[in-house]
Amino acid sequence: MRASTLLSEILAVLAKELTAELRSRVALNAIGLFGLTTLIAVAYQIGPYQIQEQDRPHLLSALLWIILFFAATSGLSRVFVKEEDAHTAKTLRLAARPLAVLGGKYLFNLLLLLALYALIVPLYCALMGYAVRGVGGLLLVLVAGAVALAATTTIVAAIIARASGSTTLFAILSVPLVLPLLVMLIQGTRAAAASSELAVVLPALQGVVSLGGAVMIVSVYLFPVVWHD
Amino acid sequence: MSGVSVEFQKVGKRFGNRTALAAVSGTLRPGQVLVVAGPNGAGKSTLLNILAGVLRPSRGEVVYRGSDGTVPRAHWFEHLGMAAPDMAVYEELTALENLRLFARLRGLNRSDADLAALLEELGLGSREHSRLVGTYSSGMKQRVKLAQAVLHAPAVLLLDEPSSNLDGAGHDAAAGLVARLRERAAIAVATNDPRELAWADARIDLAL
Amino acid sequence: MTDNRTRALLHFSLGGWVLLVILAAFFYAPSATGFKGESARIVFFHVPQAWVAVLAFCVNLVASIRYLRKRNPLDDARAAAAARLGLVFSVLATVTGSIFANVMWNSFWNWDPREVSIVILLLIYAAYFALREAIPDEERRASLSAAYAVLAFVTMPFLVFVVPRIYWSLHPDTIIGATGRLKLQMESRMLQTLLGSLVGFTGLFFWLYTLDVRSARVRLARRGREEA
Repeated sequence: MRASTLLSEILAVLAKELTAELRSRVALNAIGLFGLTTLIAVAYQIGPYQIQEQDRPHLLSALLWIILFFAATSGLSRVFVKEEDAHTAKTLRLAARPLAVLGGKYLFNLLLLLALYALIVPLYCALMGYAVRGVGGLLLVLVAGAVALAATTTIVAAIIARASGSTTLFAILSVPLVLPLLVMLIQGTRAAAASSELAVVLPALQGVVSLGGAVMIVSVYLFPVVWHD
Repeated sequence: MSGVSVEFQKVGKRFGNRTALAAVSGTLRPGQVLVVAGPNGAGKSTLLNILAGVLRPSRGEVVYRGSDGTVPRAHWFEHLGMAAPDMAVYEELTALENLRLFARLRGLNRSDADLAALLEELGLGSREHSRLVGTYSSGMKQRVKLAQAVLHAPAVLLLDEPSSNLDGAGHDAAAGLVARLRERAAIAVATNDPRELAWADARIDLAL
Repeated sequence: MTDNRTRALLHFSLGGWVLLVILAAFFYAPSATGFKGESARIVFFHVPQAWVAVLAFCVNLVASIRYLRKRNPLDDARAAAAARLGLVFSVLATVTGSIFANVMWNSFWNWDPREVSIVILLLIYAAYFALREAIPDEERRASLSAAYAVLAFVTMPFLVFVVPRIYWSLHPDTIIGATGRLKLQMESRMLQTLLGSLVGFTGLFFWLYTLDVRSARVRLARRGREEA
């Protein structure tokens, strides 16, 4: 029987994604440039002083997640779409177990999201004058957000790659699933900005982590169907 | 694992109102080459895809029979190697990296020397091994595809037009590969190439 | 024959029942206090519509799971039929709710958590059909849309229970609130009318649903005959 563990197969898929991405940089460029462009547009037009003091907590946290989410939409569906476009999907389908593929692609999307957050969030705070009191809380919210958003977008990407592969369809299908997450993430970010205590982000974190976890578990069951039909 | 035979009973496929494959029956036996012939559009690739389990038949069924009973569909791919025109390898990776990836995915521990030897057998010289597949000619890509298909010495080998894009030397390399594997593998070849038709131990002719 | 006769009987009683509900909503139930004018009467239609939208979502889920397990094309037709009705009823619930909101609070839309929930339900239904439209192959369409339906269902509890709790809501307490207690104290004639309407709308849903599924069954059977 098979000598390797699932983990090493997942890592093989991840390593392949990373090598290919570092050579072509299509997803990185798409996500990074989209993020920077929207960030600059927002920062230039709104900046730190255009918003009334009492509106700042609401607006700044919402704007941040709008930038982060829409930048991500431009690149995350590629993990599966490119396999169909390059006709490698069937080769991969016949060589790897579905879980190895799902795991590797999920980790790749997670790393992409974390890279995007690492690029955009510090710049956003600087350009928009966003004073965050609870940096630890914000980091927790960002990581939990990346974990949950990567779960949702990876399985939706798998579905649309088998449908038509269009980014429009990806957005249409992921928005209703991601909206509750975004609402909770915006709320958590606002809480973290206002207070240095970690406990304030807990309600949002619970929601984000449980929804992300639920989506992940369901994905494990759904993915073989999506991948093979 | 020893030999696996593939039995298919009246498999057919319909896409919407179009019948892509009428009911076909047959068996792939270890040590035999089954040639599937027929004009373009007769359903050769469809039949191979159904045998590989990547396409669900609209009717009929396929059974993989191993030494210890039937193999569940989810495990077919472990016994299977396949090369087809719509199965590319990764263009952003080198030939060697591609084979390394597929070996790891299949849980094989293959040395680079092993993998390089396989590429050499298919006529890819060592200078080419560390070039990106994206820079290859279509004939060279076809050789990497064939290497990917046989790298784990599969019990069932499905080849869809194995010599497409290959020159004379390439065809000979592919023929040598089939000759080496036919000892123990069950092989199906979909083709219209007269040279490949000659490999047949058994033959299915599909009509439009 | 008897089958047809029972069916006809059921149709007539359903029609009669819904007619009674409409009459009761306007003439039998008393005016509610605490609401502007007679605006509260919309509850007899709004609540059952929202209920049917959610019921359709559940029927869709069950049919989708059955499809993924059994691969019976009829289950796909069931899932699609439920989703079609769910889309219609969630639009109706949104419209009636927003008319009521305008009368009560002078604004058609307040981004109340309940409003957000129904809008996301609408978006899910819309996305479900966008996905179906995008896939020409029938089997793939069936299995991918079933997978999406299951995935979408996972987010529903969060919309119904988690998000509304984080946010403050204008919405009159639902019959079964987030706390599970019966909060809305209704006059008994109002409660009778509302329950009657819930039964009527549920019947209406299943009638329309059966019509759709029966026509799909005929379509599938005819294709089966053509093939044989």
